[in-house]
Amino acid sequence: MSDKKYWNSVDHLEEEPLFVEEAQKEFSEAVPVEDFLSKSNLSDTSASRRDFLKFMGFSIGAATLAACETPVVKSIPYVVKPEEVTPGVANWYASSFSKGGTFSSILVKTREGRPIFIKANDAYPEAMSGVTARVNASVIELYDDNRYQGPQKAGTTIGWSDVDTEISKKLAAIKEKGGTVKVVAESTSSPSTLATFAKFDEMFSTETEVEVYGEDALLKGTEMVKDSCVVTFDPINYNGVLSANKADFGKAVIPTYDFSKAKTIVSIDADFLGDWLDGVTYSKGYTQRRKPEGAWMSKHYQFETMMSMAGANADVRGAIKPSDVGNVAKMLHGAVAKLAGSAGASGSLSDDDNNIAAKVNDAAKDLWAAKGKCLVVCGSNDANIQQVVNGINNLLGNYNNTIRLERAYNVVQMNDSMVDLTKNMNSGIVDAVIFMDSNPVYSNAAFAAAVSKVGLKISLADRPDESSVLCDYVCPSHFFLEAWNDYQPYTGVFTMQQPAIRPLFKTRAAQESLLRWCGVNTSYYDFIKETWTSTAFAGADALTATNKWNSAVQSGVYMGAKMAPEADLAYSGDTGAAAGNIKSTTGEWEVKFYAKQSIGNGAQANNPHLQEMPDPISKVSWDNYVTMNPSDMEGKYEIRTAQATPANVVSVTVNGHTMELPVVALPGQKRGTIGIALGYGRTETGTAGKVGVNAYPALEMKDGVAVYSSSKVSIADAGKTYQIASVQTHHTMMDRKIVNETTLSTFKAVDKNDDVNGWNKDSKLADAFGKVRPIKELNLWADHAIEKGHRWGMSIDLNSCTGCGACVTACHIENNVPVVGKDEIRRTRSMFWLRIDRYFSSDMTKEKGKTDDVGVVSMYKQMENPSDYPQVVFQPVMCQHCNHAPCETVCPVAATTHSEEGLNQMTYNRCVGTRYCANNCPYKVRRFNWFNYNKDSKFTGINPAQNELQRMVLNPDVVVRSRGVIEKCSFCVQKIQSGKLTAKKAGRPVKDGDVVSACSEACPTNAIQFGDLNDSKSSVRANFDDDRSYFMAEEVGTQPNVAYMTKVRNTENLA
Amino acid sequence: MFRVVTYSLSVVLFTFLLSNSALAQDGEKLFKANCASCHKLNKKLIGPALTGVQDRWEDQEALYAWIKNSQDYLKKNPDDSYAQELFVEYNKSVMTAQALSDAEVGAILDYIANPPEDKAAPAVAEGPVARAPAENYSTYWMLGLVVVLLIVVKVLSGVKGSLQSVKAKLNDEVLPEPKGPIEGLFEWMANNKRLTVAIVLVVLATLSVQGWFVVKSIGVYKGYAPEQPIKFSHKIHAGTNSIECGYCHHSAYKGKNAGIPSVNVCMNCHKGISEGKVDGTTEIAKIYEAAGWDAEQQAYTGVEKPIKWIRIHNLPDFAYFNHSQHVVVGKQKCQTCHGEVEEFGYPMKQHSDLTMGWCIDCHRETKVSMEGNEYYTKIHKELLERYKDEKIEAFTVEHIGGLECAKCHY
Repeated sequence: MSDKKYWNSVDHLEEEPLFVEEAQKEFSEAVPVEDFLSKSNLSDTSASRRDFLKFMGFSIGAATLAACETPVVKSIPYVVKPEEVTPGVANWYASSFSKGGTFSSILVKTREGRPIFIKANDAYPEAMSGVTARVNASVIELYDDNRYQGPQKAGTTIGWSDVDTEISKKLAAIKEKGGTVKVVAESTSSPSTLATFAKFDEMFSTETEVEVYGEDALLKGTEMVKDSCVVTFDPINYNGVLSANKADFGKAVIPTYDFSKAKTIVSIDADFLGDWLDGVTYSKGYTQRRKPEGAWMSKHYQFETMMSMAGANADVRGAIKPSDVGNVAKMLHGAVAKLAGSAGASGSLSDDDNNIAAKVNDAAKDLWAAKGKCLVVCGSNDANIQQVVNGINNLLGNYNNTIRLERAYNVVQMNDSMVDLTKNMNSGIVDAVIFMDSNPVYSNAAFAAAVSKVGLKISLADRPDESSVLCDYVCPSHFFLEAWNDYQPYTGVFTMQQPAIRPLFKTRAAQESLLRWCGVNTSYYDFIKETWTSTAFAGADALTATNKWNSAVQSGVYMGAKMAPEADLAYSGDTGAAAGNIKSTTGEWEVKFYAKQSIGNGAQANNPHLQEMPDPISKVSWDNYVTMNPSDMEGKYEIRTAQATPANVVSVTVNGHTMELPVVALPGQKRGTIGIALGYGRTETGTAGKVGVNAYPALEMKDGVAVYSSSKVSIADAGKTYQIASVQTHHTMMDRKIVNETTLSTFKAVDKNDDVNGWNKDSKLADAFGKVRPIKELNLWADHAIEKGHRWGMSIDLNSCTGCGACVTACHIENNVPVVGKDEIRRTRSMFWLRIDRYFSSDMTKEKGKTDDVGVVSMYKQMENPSDYPQVVFQPVMCQHCNHAPCETVCPVAATTHSEEGLNQMTYNRCVGTRYCANNCPYKVRRFNWFNYNKDSKFTGINPAQNELQRMVLNPDVVVRSRGVIEKCSFCVQKIQSGKLTAKKAGRPVKDGDVVSACSEACPTNAIQFGDLNDSKSSVRANFDDDRSYFMAEEVGTQPNVAYMTKVRNTENLA
Repeated sequence: MFRVVTYSLSVVLFTFLLSNSALAQDGEKLFKANCASCHKLNKKLIGPALTGVQDRWEDQEALYAWIKNSQDYLKKNPDDSYAQELFVEYNKSVMTAQALSDAEVGAILDYIANPPEDKAAPAVAEGPVARAPAENYSTYWMLGLVVVLLIVVKVLSGVKGSLQSVKAKLNDEVLPEPKGPIEGLFEWMANNKRLTVAIVLVVLATLSVQGWFVVKSIGVYKGYAPEQPIKFSHKIHAGTNSIECGYCHHSAYKGKNAGIPSVNVCMNCHKGISEGKVDGTTEIAKIYEAAGWDAEQQAYTGVEKPIKWIRIHNLPDFAYFNHSQHVVVGKQKCQTCHGEVEEFGYPMKQHSDLTMGWCIDCHRETKVSMEGNEYYTKIHKELLERYKDEKIEAFTVEHIGGLECAKCHY
């Protein structure tokens, strides 16, 4: 067992008296009677005992009468039933998600025509298929009642034909006078959307006179150059990587990074497991090689400013200032070049308090040892730094091995200069601007100031945003689940976006609107088909083309020809020059702007499930904030943030823009730096989205696009406090074997039960006679007959869990778990059936204590000391379905019982809400319904099931719980039952994979496995029998049906 | 020779007579078997109304040929403008070639020319007549009787009082002050303590038992038979016409809902059957309205109007029930829960309690048919092992966990 001491918040670590007191109580507050009685200030009036009795008498009478009334329920069948729809049976449709730089090929589950769940498409190449929380939670945005319900002119409803006539007329007038029309659009990989843009350009693009110079640098004359109407704009751009590849390879592309082939991985400030480019694909490849049982396990170095998901999973992590990203790249280049026997760049850090120099050297050695089978990635948006990184990868021979340029990641494109566009808008050159999947008024301050200068503003947004509310016309687009589209996420890999429901409102595909305005009257569906017939199916006869089209729509995927490495993509970079161009200016404070795993760039801000999903590292939901190293906060700001001690608010000025944000302590953050999340502070969106502060205006523009760090920062105490909604402080596991961790060398060399160094010792306890026996033999109760029939179990590999949170949202959407909102989370009343606990570790270990000879007392003391740069582990926790469940024995009404299949069953309609079970649960996974979240006006706009439209997302197989009952993870019993039924109907035994829980289905890295433990061939059985498996708090004797697999870090050696 | 001739003649004669008489009877049968799905006598259906068909065709031979194979006839007689126009008028729908002899065609034509008189519609016997049942008036009679008796008691006691006072007056006696009824009751109770206790106990017990049943019946809608927008009779469909339940409620075999059939399923048959004996004609017209079917034009108008049925079996949200589990895997008959539906006229009613106790009782008793389903092979072996001491060999739903909460509540 690892000897590290974990704590899950700074308060826990310091054992604050208040915290300890709160930790003793599962429910830190009394029943909030006032909350549900004080709707009309009832508590202010003096209600006498007589009144109370009257009320009670009336309610009993009313309830009895209501109960006697025969309900009249209408049942309205189809007039003509579609052949593929069977009421009560789900249909799955293949489609695609592409938004905010995230791409996923997906399967959409529909019930009676309503999309209710999204999972990864298994027809998509396995290495890339997976969904993030943002993808699977996006399904509820379909039923957002905030959406535009039809075209609008200056805020009033107008018909499509009228709006088309008016806009066409105005655009024609602009064309007539040779004016400029600009379409501000998010980068897209859609071939048909690009073809739409080409059509639009044919009609409206202008020509600019450009001077042409000869080779002798003499003016040769002028030439007319077409100036595209389309301005590609992403709130979070990757121009650094694209420009560097343009300079070094002549092609502005994002290459394919193959983490599954990389034995050594060095990431310089790139959160490649989180929000950096194609995080899902990278996580899949990465976790494939993080299994200690494999032939080899990759070694991962991470140099970064703030603790990211990649940093949390790294073997070696170094904290650096944002301004030192270039220096680390240069140092690494120098070190690798030295090993290669050539001269490289050199650099030095402005501030090294984390032994960076040595770590960089170690990294260089490991990289060199794995030449051609390693990978260096960098998150900087500075092309010079990226060129140095390209240089390192070239020295290591990674191109055409772990990095492949011919198969480009097309979801992210080179962004056009917003500075130029804004300048042209201000000078009146731009006559019309059309917003397509973009909201620059929100995410670009200069644009927002200039937008009023444009005569004609048209938005194609599907729901109100900061840009659309300023527009003269809103021509709402379909939501992606209602629309046809196509994508080419990677060169040669095509996917289809197939509608899973007819449009709910009077909307039209954005591309169709653009086509209509440039005189093409086909539907966008026909346009896509035409595009495909002329490109992907070119040369095929009509029948073959139709077959190919149908199978592409059916599977959602069409694989183009296999690509060979392109010869002309040879490296021709000049690292020296690039290194010379890197400028780093440091300041007293430096800031790093980042996108949260949940909210991303802010486009999906009005999604309550995403807002409620806690940040993987800070475990704070519903807000953005300033992250700071605890040692920087010492004595100035509140480190422990509990109900009684809210966070301090600081006034942060970055590049002249001042924001007031609460400060949150985050171990791992580089001292002297802060982090601020983008995507918050939306103003023109639904209730759920209007949280936090918009940080986009603080971004500095460089080469026309935004950069995401700055050293022009000043921080002052705003003299205010703010209570953040943090979930983890309230879930303490105290000081037991919760997360088990070891190193690769120990894992390989030492038996798990070794007396001295055993890393996963079986729990043993002395019985009444002093005889030490395994926990399993010490039983108070009779055993359940668990070896018969099915026994459902789950295994969670802590080596594969990256902490991304896709399981959390998937669980909530599958099981109709209510969103409870910021205020309730502040009151410790979160409603997570599945949460991901995050534990920081201390650098002091027993071994270190021994070798350093610090003495036992001092060693334990230091173990409790916060290391500013700790390691992090994640642990998904849901109901453990204990075979000896403490909750079952204390329920006075037998509302929670054990099934013969190993499930800890919760019967809501039997529960009377004593909450004894929650108090007796050692895992704190039982949650209480304090309100009727689906009816109470307090949750309007927050809980996505309050009206007829929003309710459509609910899973009809799972009941919506009422106030006053406990609820918890059911192991997706509805899916177990339906999996069994499928097998029974087919007359065969249940196969491994027939029954998969929602979290397991959503996990992109397959960390969560679900199945029948009594099936000797199931993967859970194998995992349970593995040496790495252990049970959480096993010593309590609960005998859980959830096993965790010991986390093994590659910190000692490189296999 | 003579004998041979007589014999053959008699055989021919006999055969002729026999076939003729047989054909005369079969005219109606033949019509129903071969023609009725597309033709009616007095009404257009897919094909024209047939009354007077022989008058419309000048050449009877041509009519016979036309009936036997209209397509062949059209090909061979391109000049017959009547036939050609008829084909176009009826949307060029091809009439199937009929393998009928001339005699059979003749019989059909005879039937068309002389249809049997409409039999008097059986007034009660066949129609969906389940109107509100005759109320039970005996309670009211009893109540009336009690009231009358009470009046008699009152009058008699009044008479008795008058007589007593008259007698007292005559004898110059002073009558004791008459007691109020309450005081009298108390006095009587004081004098008859045991009887009083017994009566109070009996009344309390009766009230408790009655109260218990009243409380138990809250939320139980056994016998619930609401009026429906269409007077649909299961008796006619599932009973008289023996239509399989699954023909209309096919999703019971696939998923959790048995489903109310969509209108297009009704139209599969009712495109041809537009009349009923009691309410049928008006009710079937409602299907046509829902489906947007113009019976005159024999075409869909496209104006659809979904039928708003009243749901009879309302299981609460917190109970999950899957039809296919019971019907396909459990091989239960629909009638087990829904009663002899084929005997139920209009309106359809809820046959069972649909309470949890009712579910549980069945789960306790019903044996699971494990044979032939490989899903149960391993489980059956394990159960035999577990219950070998009790010597149980056939297992009920309870044995396989059918009473566990999370089998139905999630």
